[in-house]
Amino acid sequence: MTAINPHKAARLRRNVLLYVAAALLLLIWVVPILWAVIVSLKSESEVLAYPPQLIFQPTMANYRDAVSGGFSILPSFFTSFILSTATTILTVLLAVPAAYAFARLSLPGKRALGFYTLVTQMIPPVGLVIPYFLILNKIGWLDTYQGLVTVFLTFSLPFAIWLMVSYMEDIPKEMEEAAFLDKASRLQTLWHVILPQVRGGIAVTVIFVFLNAWNEFLFSVQLSGNHVRPVTVAMYNFVSVEQTLWAKLAAAALIAMLPMIVIGIAAQKQIVKGLTVGAVKGGGRR
Amino acid sequence: MGVGTLPRREGARIEGATGSASAVAGRHSRTPFQKEEIFAAFLAGPALLVLVVTTTFPLVYLIWNSFQNINLAMPFMNGFAGLDNYTQMIADGNFWHSLELTAIYAISSVLLQVVIGLGLALLVMQIPRGQGVFRIVAILPIVLAPVVVGLFWRTLMLAPNFGIVDFAVKALGFGAVNWLGAPAPALISVIMIHTWQWTPFAFLVFLASLASLPPDVYEAARIDRAGPVQRFIHITLPLIRPALVIVVIMRSMIALSAFAAIFAATRGGPGTATEILNLYAYRTSFVELNFGYGSALAVALLVITLAVSGVLFALRTARVSQ
Repeated sequence: MTAINPHKAARLRRNVLLYVAAALLLLIWVVPILWAVIVSLKSESEVLAYPPQLIFQPTMANYRDAVSGGFSILPSFFTSFILSTATTILTVLLAVPAAYAFARLSLPGKRALGFYTLVTQMIPPVGLVIPYFLILNKIGWLDTYQGLVTVFLTFSLPFAIWLMVSYMEDIPKEMEEAAFLDKASRLQTLWHVILPQVRGGIAVTVIFVFLNAWNEFLFSVQLSGNHVRPVTVAMYNFVSVEQTLWAKLAAAALIAMLPMIVIGIAAQKQIVKGLTVGAVKGGGRR
Repeated sequence: MGVGTLPRREGARIEGATGSASAVAGRHSRTPFQKEEIFAAFLAGPALLVLVVTTTFPLVYLIWNSFQNINLAMPFMNGFAGLDNYTQMIADGNFWHSLELTAIYAISSVLLQVVIGLGLALLVMQIPRGQGVFRIVAILPIVLAPVVVGLFWRTLMLAPNFGIVDFAVKALGFGAVNWLGAPAPALISVIMIHTWQWTPFAFLVFLASLASLPPDVYEAARIDRAGPVQRFIHITLPLIRPALVIVVIMRSMIALSAFAAIFAATRGGPGTATEILNLYAYRTSFVELNFGYGSALAVALLVITLAVSGVLFALRTARVSQ
């Protein structure tokens, strides 16, 4: 799709215009995040100055407050870490074998079960948070790790199964057949042949499940409390109680989101792959 | 969330595996049939069991509750209610209002995401170098928690007097707009916020889809002197239609269950100006403590979500089989 314009000058002008247009659009995605960074480096009074100031003496005080003292989000940070890690481990342990069965083995009622998994993925979260509140309240699991991890499985598990199925389907069948000819058992084949092939897919699944658990809000805000409070809830409490401390909020929010931003940039290729694995392949698979 | 409320549930391949069931069965027919089925059941069993317990059981409980009076504020009224919650819903102006907002919110944000995302992908495809920068920047909104996105926009971007959108609008000579404080601007704002966060998703999918198109088709079209618009309508659009349909389906599901960003930005307000159906179900249950009626509202949202996805999937298969 590159230009076939033979005139170099026209092509250059066109490229410059393209870059300017693209850069403007790029800016729209960066500005809110960049502005949060700037605000987090200001004092509270500088934040309120009008017109907004770009030149100021940067301070790290907001970051110090965000990690220590009464405004610290570190406890929530660790809570989110435990919740997301536990959810990710459980999800992968359950989803990978299931995906293998769905993608490559004969399983009675597979069509129906695949459809069932798909439908569970489409349940609106608000439809689950209401019964979960009542159920967890009854069994005393409100504001507990096991309660929230159980609820997180409702969106991570169907998602992970479908993602892994699409990776499992890509493995050439000859690989398995070769292993069978060598008299490997099905379990040995899964462990020594299939799993190494889908390592990339498992990495994508781990990233997405962790990310979604870390960013979850609706279940967290309603089913957690003072004991198990994830960062997304800590953020929200921050602003609704301390309306005016916006520089501290910005600093705390950036710290809370830092792991996701780092994962996002470091695993950029895997994330794009995970986002597009179905959409792009949908074309070739008809 | 997450990727919010998901990015909650992003990126899963929605269709496919079921179709290859018979092929897979045939492929392994040389091995003892029953042994394989037992092994498969052993592998899939735990996940399916967990799914039944964590999703289906609560869902049945939700439907059961929707036929009950469960009001923590008035526990003496609790008991079987029959269809009362549903007849109340049909007569409830707030329900129809939230339904209308849900439709406006979902349709306009999905439309904007697809149009802007596709336009930007086509633009970036033309750029000889530096596409990688766009891929990295596009990841940023996607990995932020929607609640944080909602807070950023509420406090830093749209706040009167020092939000920079407000500042920019005033600097351009327009009057001050109370972005989140007046009904119409608040609705536009929450649609803008959703579009800001999720257009990158559509953009990345379309970019990958465009990159995978065969270049020789375009060569042939150029030799036939097809213009850029003709090439887009007759070549690009049909070729990326699978990606287009998947994006519309996935984004519709997410838009219909959007919660955190609106909750953080407006809490459904001012009044009920941005209270889409799931925020209304949430408020009814957890603020007014009327869990019976809240459950009925959630059931309505569930039925609508499944109906919309059913229609979109039907459209997809209908077109594919043509």
